[in-house]
Amino acid sequence: MTKKFYAQALIEALTETAEEDPGFALIGRGILGHGAHAHFDKPLMERFGDRITDPPTSEGAVASMAIGAAMAGTRMFCHFGTASFTLEAVNQLIHEAGVAHSMSGGQIKVPLVFHMYHGLRRGGAGQHSSSPQSMYANNPGLQMIMPTTPRDAKGMLRAALKCDSPTLYIDHGALLGTEGEVPDEPYEVPLGRADIRREGSDITIVATSRAVLWAVEAAERLAAEGIDAEVVDPRSIVPLDAEAIVTSIRKTGRLVTVDEGYQMCSIGSEIAALAAERAMDALKGPVARVARPPVPVPFSPPLEEAMTPGPDRIIAAVKATFA
Amino acid sequence: MIAPPAAQDRAAILHCMILMRRFEEEVLRIAQDHPYVGRQHLHIGHEATGAAVVSQLTPDDLFHTTHRNHGYVIARGADPGRAFAEIMGRKDGLNGGRGGPWHLCDRSAGFLSTSAMVGGSVGLAVGAGFGLKTQGSNAISITHFGDGTLDEGICFEALNLASIFSLPVLFLCENNAKEGQRPSSMLAAKALRDLPQALQIRAIVVDGRDADAVAEGAKEAVARIRGGAGPVFLQTNLERWPGSHQTKPEFPTGVTDLSLAWEEDRIEGKHADWVREHDGLRAYAKTLVDDGSLSRERVLEMDREVLELLAKAREFAEASPYPDPDSLMADVFA
Ligand SMILES: Cc1ncc(C[n+]2csc(CCOP(=O)(O)OP(=O)(O)O)c2C)c(N)n1
Ligand SMILES: [Mg+2]
Repeated sequence: MTKKFYAQALIEALTETAEEDPGFALIGRGILGHGAHAHFDKPLMERFGDRITDPPTSEGAVASMAIGAAMAGTRMFCHFGTASFTLEAVNQLIHEAGVAHSMSGGQIKVPLVFHMYHGLRRGGAGQHSSSPQSMYANNPGLQMIMPTTPRDAKGMLRAALKCDSPTLYIDHGALLGTEGEVPDEPYEVPLGRADIRREGSDITIVATSRAVLWAVEAAERLAAEGIDAEVVDPRSIVPLDAEAIVTSIRKTGRLVTVDEGYQMCSIGSEIAALAAERAMDALKGPVARVARPPVPVPFSPPLEEAMTPGPDRIIAAVKATFA
Repeated sequence: MIAPPAAQDRAAILHCMILMRRFEEEVLRIAQDHPYVGRQHLHIGHEATGAAVVSQLTPDDLFHTTHRNHGYVIARGADPGRAFAEIMGRKDGLNGGRGGPWHLCDRSAGFLSTSAMVGGSVGLAVGAGFGLKTQGSNAISITHFGDGTLDEGICFEALNLASIFSLPVLFLCENNAKEGQRPSSMLAAKALRDLPQALQIRAIVVDGRDADAVAEGAKEAVARIRGGAGPVFLQTNLERWPGSHQTKPEFPTGVTDLSLAWEEDRIEGKHADWVREHDGLRAYAKTLVDDGSLSRERVLEMDREVLELLAKAREFAEASPYPDPDSLMADVFA
């Protein structure tokens, strides 16, 4: 094991895939964004820069190009930058990549990972802050990963790049600078297995992507007040590890969900529905969802702050389920 | 409110250009003083295009702009204090703090959309043109955008609609790259105008650093559109300002010194070439002084007046509070 930045681990997955598969191709600019950790893409750029196509600002056609290439047999990684920009390519993602395998009667494969940064980013306002995960999860045929540790970022990206179904990798820029242990030997983290980020007995908090960091912080603060929270990180949304989530809810008897998307039909709503379907008899209190309220993201810092589902709002929600 | 410059009034165009430049310089200072203000896409170096086009419009014309919007919003008469306040996310901002620097909106100055989705405003402007036509209005719709916007598929579709339905739309393309090249665009077309021309849209190409040339091109374009001849594509070629894509607020070409218009020997520094050859503001001040339209003193006096006005505007913005977090859910539905 070696301690690494999330940004490094992500790039390692791409570099190792490129080493293994001489046909592997990438599309996109600035895979690690423009922040303090952007330079960690160097090992990839130096060795495999010639595999990376820098596209014009044409998200719809670029997505189609990646999908078509994957259908033709090229393993692809397509980076979009801000998740908001993928809304220019929704039709291609949902109605082309998502349906191709099934609609062709299993003949066509789309070995492709789409990478994007979702979420509130301070000042992104109404058009650069999208967290589209539940919207995409609402459609069949698209896998979705949201790793939150360097180990999972590398291992899940490796796994997604090896499989023949299209996968959305919905990432958050705030994770790039987080650090963690990464195995030195080759490994994969299979999709569809949740991780218990903190064990606890009083309440289950299911959080995704950056919200996992908030949930862990909230759990530490709650521990000081005598509430022992378990934090479950599903890591992949499609497929979803319903078993692990239900097991945790049945153990604690309480559930708070946290995600950065809008509450209506959110990932949290799906988890809450699981609790209602499969753990109703074990629930000791109401389920609470912490998410964005339904308002376009305002630029003004205190307004953006007020809609952010951070630790304070999680703690308040946890306490409310005990009231 | 500052009145938009009267048509054909060259001194007013210069005044408007100074206002646009000094406004953006103050935005840079604001971004240095308030780190959260985030990323700015300044309109510096585009003033000759902006002020000259705006001089040919009427208050009823509808405007659609982009992430690089500040110059247009100010040139069309939006209150600079409220514009600063918006950029700072304050309650008295043009959008009540909801939009920030990428989305300044002033309906009273004719703005319908300031979209930071590349291509977003182009489609909406075609829609406004359709609306104006169905209303029997004499006003026209303008969409300002950059060369890179033509990378997006919506531009093809929107240009096609405007042409087919002969809509009153001015497509104003500020080309701040070498024809279709990085850093802002990647187009296989050899000339940007080939794209609208293939769709039977008249294209006019002018030097975007030369306010007189832009005013003339815009005059012809607006007359055609208002006369019912359908859309026009006006392309203004610019040389990208070295700070146009910065992540940290910096003054790469220095704070503007208008006396460099007649003291060219003093131009120096890493980006001296941009200041000497490509700064439309410096060039226009020089033109108007050289041809006797304005005295040097009058140019400097205009500059001082603008700076005073903007100092007051900044004070207004600084004094404005943040919106109350309890107002978060306001204005979601009309
Ligand atoms: C749909 C979409 N894709 C990508 C971006 C990121 N982006 C912001 S500005 C820009 C370049 C725009 O170039 P151009 O239209 O020439 O304007 P300039 O900044 O050069 O004035 C890009 C790609 C975006 N805002 N929206
Ligand atoms: Mg450009």
